[in-house]
Amino acid sequence: MTTLHRVSTPAIRLRPRSTVAICLAVVASGIAFCWPLFVSSHSALASNSSAPLILGLLLPVVLAVVLFEISEGGLDPKAVAMLGVLSAIGAALRPLGAGTAGLETVFFLIVLAGRVFGAGFGFVLGATTLFGSALITGGVGPWLPYQMIGAALVGLLAGLLPPLRGRWEVLLLAIYGAAAGLLYGVLLNLSFWPYTLGETTQLSFVPGAPVTENLHHFLVFSFTTSLGWDLGRGLTNFVLILVTGPAILATLRRAARKASFS
Amino acid sequence: MTSLSQLPRALHPLAWWGWAIGLAVAASMTGNPILLGLIVVVVWLVVVARRTDSPWARAFRLYAVLGVVIVLVRLVLHVLVGLKWGTIEVLALPRVALPHWAAGINLLGTVYLEGWLAAAVQGLQLAVLILAIGGANALANPKRLLRALPHALHEVGTAVVVSVSVAPQLAESVQRVLRARLLRGDVGRGLRAVPRVALPVLQDTLDRSLLLAAAMESRGYGARNSDATAAGRRLVTGSLTLAGLLVLAFGMYDLLDPTRSLSWLGAPLVVLGLALTVAGMALGGREIRVTTYRRDPWRLPETLTVLAGLAAAAGMVISKQATPDLLWLPLQPLAAPGLPIAATIGILLAALPAFVTPPPAATGRPRNRTPR
Repeated sequence: MTTLHRVSTPAIRLRPRSTVAICLAVVASGIAFCWPLFVSSHSALASNSSAPLILGLLLPVVLAVVLFEISEGGLDPKAVAMLGVLSAIGAALRPLGAGTAGLETVFFLIVLAGRVFGAGFGFVLGATTLFGSALITGGVGPWLPYQMIGAALVGLLAGLLPPLRGRWEVLLLAIYGAAAGLLYGVLLNLSFWPYTLGETTQLSFVPGAPVTENLHHFLVFSFTTSLGWDLGRGLTNFVLILVTGPAILATLRRAARKASFS
Repeated sequence: MTSLSQLPRALHPLAWWGWAIGLAVAASMTGNPILLGLIVVVVWLVVVARRTDSPWARAFRLYAVLGVVIVLVRLVLHVLVGLKWGTIEVLALPRVALPHWAAGINLLGTVYLEGWLAAAVQGLQLAVLILAIGGANALANPKRLLRALPHALHEVGTAVVVSVSVAPQLAESVQRVLRARLLRGDVGRGLRAVPRVALPVLQDTLDRSLLLAAAMESRGYGARNSDATAAGRRLVTGSLTLAGLLVLAFGMYDLLDPTRSLSWLGAPLVVLGLALTVAGMALGGREIRVTTYRRDPWRLPETLTVLAGLAAAAGMVISKQATPDLLWLPLQPLAAPGLPIAATIGILLAALPAFVTPPPAATGRPRNRTPR
């Protein structure tokens, strides 16, 4: 037994089929996040009253298909139980920060677990953590599919980071956590930008206008309203991973060794 | 006399979601404050009549608060950066030009009543949509809802079930670790104590997950068909779901930008994509053998509840065909909103679940707590 080595088998193996499904879902959710930037004035979504409903019903289907493809062929019961308890911890940690000033306390766990248990596990963990937390605290709404996809991507990419070890690994994860927190904030902002403002302000999206103009409106809106929050979230992730990273990584690796995923 | 349909029991969670989505569709089609107000009243009535005292039911007021916040934010943002229009002056404010990085954007400016009302009505529309979803969230038991997940998602659903049931146990785990520390005479407090509590709790929880996995495995969890036909079927399943996703992505793009492609293609493509993915997942779900203990019945009250939600949406569609102007607040010139008949009747029908559904089963605590 080479117990000192990296746990080689990921908890949830990504087969070619699930990889294709994830890529397709990234394209579909990219459309769902960025639609105000390139919606044309002839579109049914141009008047935004029906948009939250249509996208809010389509995105869960996309998510369901990806999660089905990942779990198709059977998940290891140990992976399922591990997913359950880790998302329970995430759901319990989430109200601690309550999102005030970007104090988001859920991402560091998703990043660290995605790193230890692999990209597929990170993806599913991001989705189940936010779903479970919404069910417990009663936070189901049109924003939930966006949050789930955002957090799932954060976990997925954490599992794909280059294999560094020791002190450098923690630093790499901390920098990644900061960047992911910031990017998550901007993407979520983009998804509810049309709903916060309505269509009739100078910072709203203009259907059919060039992408650059809409992007300019969005950046001004983002800088003036939520940059502080997003920076706060990035900083929280950075500090939390740097401080707790070594201990939690060791604990998670010990659990992964004990579980010996097949 | 209580008939069978009036015996206390929880309604099927999907029925509440069907009802709420019907009302949300209705809300997304109208900008008439009377109709929107009527939807709020209907949702409120049904929730008050049929909620339990579970945590998710108590969260309903948060959705109401969120709705108020949305309308207020729209009102404030209209004053700050809105495109002002109208004839009736409300607030005469000076216009402030922003520096060059935000060129072309002016702050403040004279606020007119019409523009302000339009912003408020749009905010109200979104607020009512969210309130309807909040209604479903308050009425449908999420743990029961997870059982209604398609079989294909059984394993991920199991992870969520574990998460929802383990989260409350974490508090007990924290207390156990704290007690053990006290017994050892370790009374450190403050930030320093956090890792000494958090790490044992994490380890405890991870160890528990292994026990849970062993228990699940010993009860036949994850058993699958492994005969020769399964491989062929899996190939079909995979091609169906992946093709469905691809078609769905194309359809979504078409919906957004009908000018770059064939304009009529968007909606049919989305429907085709949905059909393919649903078929694929239904086929894939047959691989997984799941039995349900005490399945939630679907009886007459469930059907009536879904129909009531559909009535609200259908009424709105009829009114949109017959009297489209009445569905919006007239702003040019400003006038009192009208009352379209079909839409009003539809929304009132959506209040039926408050009366035709069985009352919720009594929970441990009495619903009206008397002062001791």
